[in-house]
Amino acid sequence: MRYLAQRLAQFVLVFVVVTFVVMAATRIGSTDPARDLAGGAVSEAQIELVKEDYPYLDDPLVVQYGHWLGDTVTGEWGQSYVQSQSTIDMVKTRLPATIFIGFWAIVIGLAIALPLGVYAAYRRDGMFDRVTSTGSFALISMPPLVVAVLLLFLVVTRFDTFPSVGRSLYVAPWDNPVEHFKNFFIPSLAVGLGLGGIWSRLLRADMILALQSDSVTMARAKGISPRRVLWVHALRGSILSIMTSVALQMSALIGGAVVVEQFFGPKGIGDRLIFAIQQNDILIIQAIAALLTVAVVLANFIVDLLYAVVDPRIRMARTLG
Amino acid sequence: MPVVATSTAKRRRKLPPLGLVVGIGWLAVAIVISGLADFLPFVRGYDEPVRGAGSYGYGPGADFWFGADRLQRDVFARSVYGARISLIIATTSIFAGLLIGGTLGMIAGYFRGWIDRVISIVADALLAFPAIVIASLMVGRFEALRTSEIEVFGVGFGWASPTWAIVIVFSLLSVAPIARITRAQTLSLSQREYVLAARSLGASTPRIITREILPNIVPVMSSVLFTGIAVLLAAESGLAFLGYSVQAPQVSWGLMIQENREQIEQGWWGTVFPCLMLFLTVLSFNLIGDRVARRFDIREATL
Repeated sequence: MRYLAQRLAQFVLVFVVVTFVVMAATRIGSTDPARDLAGGAVSEAQIELVKEDYPYLDDPLVVQYGHWLGDTVTGEWGQSYVQSQSTIDMVKTRLPATIFIGFWAIVIGLAIALPLGVYAAYRRDGMFDRVTSTGSFALISMPPLVVAVLLLFLVVTRFDTFPSVGRSLYVAPWDNPVEHFKNFFIPSLAVGLGLGGIWSRLLRADMILALQSDSVTMARAKGISPRRVLWVHALRGSILSIMTSVALQMSALIGGAVVVEQFFGPKGIGDRLIFAIQQNDILIIQAIAALLTVAVVLANFIVDLLYAVVDPRIRMARTLG
Repeated sequence: MPVVATSTAKRRRKLPPLGLVVGIGWLAVAIVISGLADFLPFVRGYDEPVRGAGSYGYGPGADFWFGADRLQRDVFARSVYGARISLIIATTSIFAGLLIGGTLGMIAGYFRGWIDRVISIVADALLAFPAIVIASLMVGRFEALRTSEIEVFGVGFGWASPTWAIVIVFSLLSVAPIARITRAQTLSLSQREYVLAARSLGASTPRIITREILPNIVPVMSSVLFTGIAVLLAAESGLAFLGYSVQAPQVSWGLMIQENREQIEQGWWGTVFPCLMLFLTVLSFNLIGDRVARRFDIREATL
């Protein structure tokens, strides 16, 4: 428990640092944050209106941050004056698309990594291993942008199934699963392939160690079928490192989603963030930054919790130490 | 036949892996051509439209090796000049990052204390937030800073072109991860016997750091150098695609992809060639970095 409390404190600190850095960055090169918030070239009256809502914008940065943090924690997320849309509405309309891209990307990444990594480790240095090792090395050297271009060229332009570039729209799977697949498959694949490369390399290295461990030898000696030994006994230990890597890759995943949303479409929260950055719509930028950081931090915290649940040794060691 | 067996084994060991050879070869070609682009006869100007060609009028062929784009410009020339800018940005930033981050990391690892704490918190924070978002935010704000009349110590920011802005931002963003890697290395090195020996012989702290620890960090740093360039190249292309890197008339791979992707059905060459160049270059740097890391037996350095 003490360990978890420590981690939680660390995550809160990370959140504060990230949101503060983002806030400071929005103020670079800006003499009048109220004007930025109001939308740049607008009348004095409109700026006065903004100043009425946010009187703290002239204060020192730390004071501003304190006000913003207080507002955010109490659920006052402000609004975009430029778009006259409240942040809550913006999140409600934009977040689902990004969540689905991220979710399917993780699913695709794992679907690639599990069979490749496990079988490559099982037949180590064999033909299959060499081919997949080369392939996964190529995959980790492909930024999402490259994968997106290749998918566009090799798949999207050849098949009418998928919407043309930049035309993907958000369709909820419970409304129309087929359309959902058409709109989300390619963007998720663009992000997921790279993740698959990373995870299959990780899994292979992990499984090679696991297959040499005493517990696997023991399981084999007991006469458990090789398949069961491989997929249950050996894989069990690697689940933890995969989970950790999923949490660690969260920010890369979001970064990939930002690019892919611009490239293919479903315009999600990443697209909105880029748009907000163009206009220096400071409240929206800060709200989305806070949201993304919470997502990453939360994923890491959940993995920490799962660690304690899955592995009793860690639970013991950490409660003792 | 033991003799034959050992001799083939030896010959095999001498041959470097094919991937590495291809990687180094590709980089050498890319660096030479992009470095000498101004003087090479077969590289056209990157921003001159060729008369007589319609939009995507020429596909890849003898005249235009990579075809001509929407504005009838030579895609090959643009790829070459794009390589130059991307490589310059990535290399400059990583060297700046290594210099600052390496110094901070060694200080943190050797003396521990508050600087250690600050570095790990900042590195954690950067890991928790997509760097591409921070980078595009900062590059965008630098652009505002450049056009604003803000002066610090009486000096304006008119010089801060997007290229400069992106180098500064990338250097800043790479400081914390590099510092963290250096810190971990220094921490373990400073516990070694030879450091203790040097200390008990009365060597001063600066001498221990420069003569005992620094030489042993170089292998890790060289691996970080290559993988770091690969990461920054990828990041630069992403930023350029989002519109936060070099601006037209300058050219970079990401910008070319962004300009041509909507018209992929009219002219695939405008998008696919810069994308392949980007991929091969990132792959080559990764291959070399991986090789260096394996040569010195260090775990994968994350940046």
